[in-house]
Amino acid sequence: MKAKSIVFFLLALAASFLAATYRWGDSAHSIGLIRTSGGEARHPAFLGSGEDSYTLIATATVVPPYRGDVRVVLEGEPVMDHRISLSGPIVDLGIRRNPELRGNIIRGLQPMDRIALWVEMKPPPIDPICGMSYTDGFLEVSYAGRPYYFCSEACAEAFSKDPDRYKNNDGARGKYTVAFYDTKTGRPVLNVPVLFTGKGDAKDAGHH
Amino acid sequence: MRRMQGTTENHFFVKRRSWILILGVVLFMPPLSFLFQFTQDSSFCGTWCPRMFFTWRPDMTAGAFMSGMVRSYMGVILVLGAVLSTFFLGRVWCSHLCPVGGTSELGSRLIPEKLKIRLDTIPASPVRYGYLAAYLLLPALGLGSLCCSYCNFATAPRFLGASFSHADMAFFLRTAGLVNLGLLVGLGFLTKGGRGYCNLLCPVGALDALSNRLGEKFGRRIRVVEDRCNGCGLCKDACPVGAVEAGETVRIDQLSCFPCGLCMKACPRHAIAYGPRKTCQKEERVPAAPSYALTGHDRKDLAA
Repeated sequence: MKAKSIVFFLLALAASFLAATYRWGDSAHSIGLIRTSGGEARHPAFLGSGEDSYTLIATATVVPPYRGDVRVVLEGEPVMDHRISLSGPIVDLGIRRNPELRGNIIRGLQPMDRIALWVEMKPPPIDPICGMSYTDGFLEVSYAGRPYYFCSEACAEAFSKDPDRYKNNDGARGKYTVAFYDTKTGRPVLNVPVLFTGKGDAKDAGHH
Repeated sequence: MRRMQGTTENHFFVKRRSWILILGVVLFMPPLSFLFQFTQDSSFCGTWCPRMFFTWRPDMTAGAFMSGMVRSYMGVILVLGAVLSTFFLGRVWCSHLCPVGGTSELGSRLIPEKLKIRLDTIPASPVRYGYLAAYLLLPALGLGSLCCSYCNFATAPRFLGASFSHADMAFFLRTAGLVNLGLLVGLGFLTKGGRGYCNLLCPVGALDALSNRLGEKFGRRIRVVEDRCNGCGLCKDACPVGAVEAGETVRIDQLSCFPCGLCMKACPRHAIAYGPRKTCQKEERVPAAPSYALTGHDRKDLAA
């Protein structure tokens, strides 16, 4: 009985270790402070390149004395389809005032408000050779069971010569920012860096 | 024969447990999120987070640790309240009040029994404390984190809110969300008793169970009246957390037990009682119960 307990304890510990260190490439979480003088995110959000869609949970607290309306913008090239939703009570009982999201503007932020935003992102397909993002007229070529898109015959031909070299280049890469601007002054009150890293090399295991 | 007054199985908190669970779910969970709205929250994430404040990260100062506790002050109150009340009364938070465990258990009652997985062959305590050890150690060593990533306190409210709110739905539109949905369904709805996550993984439950075990001598617990037990094992089948060990007389593992009272209901000999240590061990102290079985194992009353 004792030995069985020890085995199960160690198995649970090992499984939990794997679970805790593994990172999902399509999900990230960031915590930030909204400030009049430009706020800060505690750490950048890391996402893995090559996924079809991504979800970032961005939570932020409003540092006094800031109050106002804030426009949320996903900045970065190429432009991504995205949808922002604000988590809040479904049936608002009016016990406390809650900030509201209309369009991409959070209205009525007050000191010490705490918001939780869900930013869903969908990157366009990218030409793995030249890096252009998809527009009408791109050529579609299937390789290893999935489609790749090319701006021209030349790019498609370069790909077909050495597909293994380029096959992971069609996902979102580089730095994006979820930027929060005060609608009156136009100044940033929080920037959340979102870093797209190559598949498998996202280093940060996430704090939460 | 009329069921006798005063036996522990007639206890209000045993008889009405389902209603208390439903009340907890309605008061805490979406769409109403009634209690959360007092602190400008809509779920456990934020002021009410009962899990994040007791983890340590390597870059953390004592001040940052304290501010984490201030940020989740309702969560701190919740956990301290649960652990303290458990010391004296047993794990009432877990068995009756926790809306996440409640969602999981009530959901499992809607699933046909034959589809459910039995997890009672897994020794729960070693798994639970293996998970708790990783839960505390890995963030402290900077190797990763289990909180949030596998949190049913984050998942269950969103599961209930998903059909009303896109923000809640978005929780599930990503791999981590699907994994959490899998945990809620696999270790909850599809588990016999509906309490797999509670019993195997929940870090709050793990702390609470320690308090339950440490306060065993001093507080009220579910206990076996040994003179009356014949070791039939009906209580073992009824237990949702695998806390009953069968033998000549059954034993209750206070490191897993919570006072749901399902074993008391299942016992035809009234051999399980809830109370302080002294009054539960000797038969004459539970005067309302008969000294011999009047019911068969199918719980039919033989004297009726």
